[in-house]
Amino acid sequence: MPIIKTENLSKIYNPDTVPVHALNDVNITFDEGEFTAVRGPSGSGKTTLLNMIGGLDKPTKGEVIINGQDISKMKDSKRIDFRLHNIGFVFQHYNLIPVFTARENVSFIMLLQKRSKKEIRERADALLDQVGLGKKKDSRPVQMSGGEQQRVAVARALASEPKFILADEPTANLDTESAMNLLDIMNKMNQEQNVTFIFSTHDQRVIDRARRVITMVDGAIHKDEKQEVLSEQ
Amino acid sequence: MKTLINISWRNIWRHPARSSVLIAAIVAGLWAGVVTVGLINGLMLQRIDYLIESEVTHAQVHNPEFLSEGYSWLHIPEHDEIARWLEDDSRVQSYTLRTITDGMLQSPVKTSGVRIRGVDTETETRTTTFHENIVEGEYLDSDIPNAVIMGKTLAEDHNMEVGNRIVLTFEDTNNELTSGSFNIVGIFQSASTTYDELNVFVRSDELNQLLSEETIYHEIGMMLEHEDLASSVVSDINQTFTGVEAQTWRQLSPELSMLVELGDFMVILITLIIMIALAFGILNTMLMALFERMRELGMLISIGMSRMRVFIMIMMESIILTITGAAAGMLLAWFSINHFSESGLNLEMFAEGAAQLGWDHIIYPVLTPLEYVVILIVVVAITMLASMYPALKGIRINPLEAARNT
Repeated sequence: MPIIKTENLSKIYNPDTVPVHALNDVNITFDEGEFTAVRGPSGSGKTTLLNMIGGLDKPTKGEVIINGQDISKMKDSKRIDFRLHNIGFVFQHYNLIPVFTARENVSFIMLLQKRSKKEIRERADALLDQVGLGKKKDSRPVQMSGGEQQRVAVARALASEPKFILADEPTANLDTESAMNLLDIMNKMNQEQNVTFIFSTHDQRVIDRARRVITMVDGAIHKDEKQEVLSEQ
Repeated sequence: MKTLINISWRNIWRHPARSSVLIAAIVAGLWAGVVTVGLINGLMLQRIDYLIESEVTHAQVHNPEFLSEGYSWLHIPEHDEIARWLEDDSRVQSYTLRTITDGMLQSPVKTSGVRIRGVDTETETRTTTFHENIVEGEYLDSDIPNAVIMGKTLAEDHNMEVGNRIVLTFEDTNNELTSGSFNIVGIFQSASTTYDELNVFVRSDELNQLLSEETIYHEIGMMLEHEDLASSVVSDINQTFTGVEAQTWRQLSPELSMLVELGDFMVILITLIIMIALAFGILNTMLMALFERMRELGMLISIGMSRMRVFIMIMMESIILTITGAAAGMLLAWFSINHFSESGLNLEMFAEGAAQLGWDHIIYPVLTPLEYVVILIVVVAITMLASMYPALKGIRINPLEAARNT
């Protein structure tokens, strides 16, 4: 059974003025453990698709069903709570809380989940170790490189033990070494812990590492193909 | 909540300069405001206390027509009975009887219209503090017969000094003009130069000898155990005795009553100005902070932070900022008021003008603990109100802000 399923998913921006059809009747499923890249030119609808799947935006038509629940029909407050427990996010600009240390950034989402202090600390430390930032737990974002910040963002996304992680252009602001390092970490987690990753990306380095590549054009799925991973650690 | 307080506190210090400037503005504004309120309070209370304690007293009894007509035959009937009643009433601390008439003061230099106040030195000294206004010579308890004390400005006007003689002329109760020669034994200086120009004091028994065949009094002044008792004592006197009218100091001196209201109004006005400035300061800072952090707030909502928590976080930032500034400002104000309430704030450069208006140039600021608490509560309430708009704006942020790439 897929963990994510969209049915006739459509999104029209400015329906009353100059309508922009960002998504047109998209039907797609994602299974647990996938490492998927959604690619396409700018304006093809890949970010909109991720926003719909992540419950950050509401579709004009259609459904987004995650683990059997239609999140597009949920009230805003319930959707926020749903995101807290089910979806992890990695953003292009890292979006860490600048006044928090790496550990605090990772811990914050678990605090929102009201986990015990001991569990929060242990899990935050373990995750930061996994992303190779064991020595930077007490550093603030300004004291870290872009790659390191994005690794903290990945650790934060994993902290809530989500069903899947949505990463919007995660490597767009990273140099090659940092990007490859980040992809290695995410790939390892996918392989070893069966964490589901869905990326929207332009970056060929990400596309090359994905085992499923969805190509979008004009708000529709143009191609959906599985591929052999070209370079893996 | 602890996490929210923690994140709010750290958010405040993202821009130390900006937050410090705002806190400094709150400290300075609140300090200035609270001290000003204290000074206004002090000024008003000093004026009121001075007038009550030095002359007006908490309540007075007159012949009902005396205050408007001023004739000496409009004296208090049955003053002995009223005196006995006052003697027996536990609410009355002390009282004094006064004989009053209007007349002319003649010196070799000139003639002036004055109010001649005949006082019983013993009860007057027990009841009022007017004798403390003597700046030269002595009070009326001197052994010199037909003693008079006069205001400094009046004495200077007449080129008179202690030891000189003046003649007081007035109508007696039979409408006959009578006059007496009086020896200046003292010069007084009250808070009001106008009062000093228009009043002279003599002993009531000596005045009575010239004024009437019997002992008459026109005014009974009384100090009570507490100012709040004035209304009830006045009401009891008016019910018990006929042909007299008792009035509280507020009724006797409506200008004093107005002064109290004016003081209260000024306090409210100053507080309002400070609060409006504070509200706009908070609003400006919080809106700036909000616009800078749209993406971050969007991220927080994206990852699952409820809008209510975002609201509380923004509110908390404003409240922490204000409480930090307000606490420091109030503390500074408390120290200042405490210091000046003992030593007084000497505005000597305005002494002459203040005296013309009957004000003291040394001000002892006063602020009750309740007033401190009220100001603090108002500050917090205004802060919460001012933070409401940015906080509401904050919770309306679209989580897509987090994904925005520009």
